[in-house]
Amino acid sequence: MVERRLIVLGAALALWSAAIVVKLASLQLVHHLELARKARARQEIVRSLPAPRGSIYDRNGQPLAMSLPTQSVTVNPAKLPDLGVAAELLEQVLHMRGSGLYDKLKQANENGRGYLVVKRGITPQEAESVRALPVDWIDIESASQRHYPKGALAAHVLGGVDYAEKGNAGIEKALDDALHGQPGKELILTDVMRRGIASRQANEARPGTPVTLTIDERMQFVAERQLAAAVEDKHAASGSVVVMNPSTGDVLALASYPTFDPNTPPETAGDASRENHATGVPFEPGSVFKVITLSAALETTNLRPETPIDCGRGSITLFGRTIHEAEARGGYGVISMAQVLQHSSNVGAIRVGMRVGQQNLYDYVRRFGFAQLTGLPLPGESRGKLRKLPRWTATSLASISMGQEISVTTIQLAQAVSVIANGGLLVKPRLVLKLGNQPAPQATPVRVVKPETAFTMRHLMEAVVMPGGTGYPEARLAGYSAAGKTGTALIFDFTTNRYAHNYNASFAGMAPLPNPSIVVVVTLNETHGNGGYGGRAAAPVFNKVATEALRILEVPRDLPDGPAKTVAASQEEPSSDLAIAGLGAGPNILQDTDDDDQPAAPVTGVAFLGPTVPDFQGMTMRDVLAQAAARGLTVLPDGSGVAKLQYPPPGSVLRQGERIRVRFAR
Amino acid sequence: MATLPAIFTWMGATRPEAQAKPAQSRAERDPYRLRALPQENVFFFCKKIDNGRLVREPDPQAKSACWSAIGVASLAVAILAGVLVPGAASTISGYRLESLRAEERRLLDEGRTLDLQEAELLSPDRLDRLAHNQNLVTPKSDQVFHLEGNQPDAAVAMVKKQ
Repeated sequence: MVERRLIVLGAALALWSAAIVVKLASLQLVHHLELARKARARQEIVRSLPAPRGSIYDRNGQPLAMSLPTQSVTVNPAKLPDLGVAAELLEQVLHMRGSGLYDKLKQANENGRGYLVVKRGITPQEAESVRALPVDWIDIESASQRHYPKGALAAHVLGGVDYAEKGNAGIEKALDDALHGQPGKELILTDVMRRGIASRQANEARPGTPVTLTIDERMQFVAERQLAAAVEDKHAASGSVVVMNPSTGDVLALASYPTFDPNTPPETAGDASRENHATGVPFEPGSVFKVITLSAALETTNLRPETPIDCGRGSITLFGRTIHEAEARGGYGVISMAQVLQHSSNVGAIRVGMRVGQQNLYDYVRRFGFAQLTGLPLPGESRGKLRKLPRWTATSLASISMGQEISVTTIQLAQAVSVIANGGLLVKPRLVLKLGNQPAPQATPVRVVKPETAFTMRHLMEAVVMPGGTGYPEARLAGYSAAGKTGTALIFDFTTNRYAHNYNASFAGMAPLPNPSIVVVVTLNETHGNGGYGGRAAAPVFNKVATEALRILEVPRDLPDGPAKTVAASQEEPSSDLAIAGLGAGPNILQDTDDDDQPAAPVTGVAFLGPTVPDFQGMTMRDVLAQAAARGLTVLPDGSGVAKLQYPPPGSVLRQGERIRVRFAR
Repeated sequence: MATLPAIFTWMGATRPEAQAKPAQSRAERDPYRLRALPQENVFFFCKKIDNGRLVREPDPQAKSACWSAIGVASLAVAILAGVLVPGAASTISGYRLESLRAEERRLLDEGRTLDLQEAELLSPDRLDRLAHNQNLVTPKSDQVFHLEGNQPDAAVAMVKKQ
């Protein structure tokens, strides 16, 4: 009896144990994966790993743009129990009195929207207040917000971002791929109180790459301040300043006026303040372009600084049109080529240009980087305009020699003047110094003119800031030697289709002369009257900016210390360097709509070659002389008839000052 | 209730057979038997047993068995601890780690906020206004003497405006 009971009891226990074991096996083996998945779903939360957008620094490591985490308040308008109460509550908690929140909520609710951002960038105190509200129709989202701690400094260089922190202008747009980070994902195992116990990365976060610019914030500040003051003082419409290192191409400052604050960008996309006048707005440069004309003359002709140029009585007649000097003084007469630049003689420039010839001038204009993009990483850069040679008219050579019938940008002028400053190399301007820790690649410089040509031009340009020059005394620096060229170009009025009496006043200069550390180009648009000439409007800005830049760079003075010379306005009427515009009968260069100046081939690193001797074999004397004149070559004819012999032979490179002897016979 | 049995007993005691039996019953009664319950056939016996003179014989194997049991139990506890403690420590470390990570994130964000504030305070526009308020002007080129050479952080004296 007892044994039977024991057996029964034992059997019951065994069954019970077996049931337990079966259930355990079912849970641990059969349904393990499914249950583990359910457990993970309950226990794990997915957290986004923020990847802040890369910061932008100036060359000295000062932050110009940074991203900070921020929080935004959002609501579901469809779930709002009472729009008025909700609006009142939110306005009170988020300090948004008078913001029209009720109207926005009402409109969103009527449109059936389920999501509305109430306020972005709330403070931590406001976030706490919102979290303390016992409502379920309000939510707080984490995001990132871009800050520009220097305000409007370098606004056109930096650009800006939209609400999604995607670059929409400037460096922010050009380098958006590098600056934009990639958020990651993290899985966190939590306890019942939702506290994290362990975590593992599902996707690694990749923060944005920081960018270091070549901009120096101190020089940028000085350039912007002086530019704004000059535009206000001269009642100009806009302006730009570029400060560049001629040897490395580093853009130390790039200012454009009017400007804006990227922290509060203009609402409208086409606002004038967003236009970058330094890179995106081409203009006819005027007399400052004579530097290119004379450089080409030194390279391709036997003209020298002391070569006399007949400027006549202040006028020249070309193809039925009479062109006068800017100043009706009775002309400069016969002056040296150096004085042509010093006084900015239009007649002299035209005569020099005619010696250079169309082909050579076109080639050198292209070699100096005009009508091509400089390669700066700034969206919206203009390449300017230069008509292709077949489209040149009879007066194009004269116009372009004076800096009309061609449109350039301020940065292109800086690039061109840097060629003179650094000894003849075209150095591409650059804005990015480093990407992360890696130095940004630099383009190889290309030789444009011979070193002696560059040195000669520097001395010719020095005369511009000396007594008698169009840039004296405003452009003369205290304690430093300087060189430059003024420019005053009439502005074409598209409404009246003629040139108005407004000027683009510019000054392109370098300092110090023996080994220029900086090139500064200043342009003021729509100046008026005598005070609006390049020497009176733009040169003072060059003076202040260059002086400050040299001090910041700690460049030793190369002129003896003397009593501080205040750059006072000259009591005499300033020398006019106004270029004569409107020589051609066709449409203005700025009205050209087609991309006529598409670069056929980039100017690559060709070794410098002088002019080559053409083949005059079988040509009459008249044809030989005409062809030589068109190329700027000097021919010594001998005999009569047709050309039989010549020295140097055809195709050889002509040395500087060398003349071609041609023997004619019947 | 006890009165009736006493009466019956008296009545039976008068009978001759009853007079002979009580002496014999009394002599055979177990000395350990407790007084019987009335009208019950259940008898209780109570006997005092003095085991004080009993001495347990020492078991030579008990000691080793005891130690073995202690050892096994300790081992089991150690194994259990070895299995459970790392998990618990891991969980506690996990709490600590997550809180440290949250603290790191907070400090990084705070650092960035401070960097931004520093940059705003060092804005050239602000410094210029402060200098202007202090009647400080930028020195002219002939008033600048570079004491430490061409170094980025070389000090430059500011000139007070007279």
